[in-house]
Amino acid sequence: MLDLLNAWLVAPFDYGFMRRAVVGGLALSLAAPPLGVFLVLRGMSLIGDAMAHAILPGVALGFLVAGFSLPMMSLGGVLFGLAVALLAGAVSKMGGQREDAAMASFFIISLAAGVMLISLGGSSVDLTHVLFGSVLAINSTALVLITTISSAIVITLAVIFRALVVECLDPLFLRGQSRRSGWVHSVFLGLLVLNLTAGFQTLGTLMAVGLMMLPATTARFWSKRLEGLMGIAVVLAMLSSTGGLLLSFHLDLPSGPSIILLAGAGYFFSAVCGRYHSLAARWRRKVTPLVHD
Amino acid sequence: MSHEAKLRLYNLHLAQARRSVLEGLEGTFASGAVTALIGANGAGKSTLVQALMGELRPLSGKVECHVPKARRAWLPQQLALDLSFPMSVEELVMTGSWPSHGALKGYCAAHYRRGREIMTRLGISTVAHRPLGELSGGQRQRALIGRTLMQEAELLLLDEPFANVDSETVDILIPIIRQMADDGATIIVVLHDMDHLKRLADAVLLLRDGCSHWLAPDGVVAPSHLSTGGRHAGLA
Repeated sequence: MLDLLNAWLVAPFDYGFMRRAVVGGLALSLAAPPLGVFLVLRGMSLIGDAMAHAILPGVALGFLVAGFSLPMMSLGGVLFGLAVALLAGAVSKMGGQREDAAMASFFIISLAAGVMLISLGGSSVDLTHVLFGSVLAINSTALVLITTISSAIVITLAVIFRALVVECLDPLFLRGQSRRSGWVHSVFLGLLVLNLTAGFQTLGTLMAVGLMMLPATTARFWSKRLEGLMGIAVVLAMLSSTGGLLLSFHLDLPSGPSIILLAGAGYFFSAVCGRYHSLAARWRRKVTPLVHD
Repeated sequence: MSHEAKLRLYNLHLAQARRSVLEGLEGTFASGAVTALIGANGAGKSTLVQALMGELRPLSGKVECHVPKARRAWLPQQLALDLSFPMSVEELVMTGSWPSHGALKGYCAAHYRRGREIMTRLGISTVAHRPLGELSGGQRQRALIGRTLMQEAELLLLDEPFANVDSETVDILIPIIRQMADDGATIIVVLHDMDHLKRLADAVLLLRDGCSHWLAPDGVVAPSHLSTGGRHAGLA
């Protein structure tokens, strides 16, 4: 029994690439889900997806300039992602178009531009790598980059937390209270871009969103409080990134999809059995008695 | 009550979507007094409120306001509040301490105690830990007034605070709003109901045909003042 556990859960980490992969995954699991929770609560769930596409041309440019260098590709991704976020914000302010409409236009242009750039400069293998990542190829430089970005995200989120909560709940109140209220949204979008660039190496630009959104949407089935949502989402992300890695190791599956599909399985399970808003919750219909005090 | 007036209008001209709404508005909103803002639907009450809060730029003239931004509170008719956001009544009331605490400073025990006192005064301490989405309209309105109390607002703009609210809430809120005025706050309330007006207002600003008329509260009895807002006014 113990031998089996050892063979399944511990032995894979004798390999250096597995150790680095799991640390990278845990770091991302700490930073991404809280951002996802805020996106879900603000009704902006698809913005993450749009942003993931938006960083692609930057990543491609970095790749063309410096070859397969993670820092350069990340830098390009961050710059391009921020530029798209700012442009989308500007267009929506200028023309009265809603921000998501502007974002939808920009991200599809970005995706096409990114794919075009990569195809011009590299082979189709490179394209697959950028789009779908490869968690098992993380080297020490990449690991430092991922953990640094994740730490920066968690710290910044802690600093702007109250402002972000108040802005989500009642933007008008925050506007009255603080002249810098407009910054909160921009900083939040910046964190989003940073997180997606950190995630693209491990999961690829398209799947990096998964580790952000799936734990957050799953947590909605288990908690109604903000702290609860974030805690549960982080734990879920950690479980699915580590579990997904082990699955991909033992069953010889691609790592990115394994992680996301495991998180997806958690989502379906919670949609059926979760405490709130799930199928099971609908059947239960338990009523709490009136409290007299 | 001798307070320096902190809110004045000088020949104010306001427009919405390039259409003139109000012209030549003059006047002083006394501190420590409740001013009722009345007028028919479409007379420009909400437009004036927006201009007072600095959300709408006047075409000409100006609004002079000596209350720091952090001490102004505005409860619009159409709340921007996201009720699905997981936040409890207590947490909402506590966000009112923004002027003293900002985005970073932690709340101390004394502030929590003040928050609880405020909730007790408003009769919402039993729902302190309920999420906002589960409250009745009256409870929600009381929680929002709780936030302005926490904020120690010196300028309070209430846009129809008693619409869709139970009479118990009205009976609790009127003395609390009066008390805030007695403590020196400048309070402006958009009202339709003549009964509420009599219980609350020290002065009345009537908007009609794009102009303003200052009245004494007992001068507002004739329903003709509110040409189309007749349902409540007719009862007076």
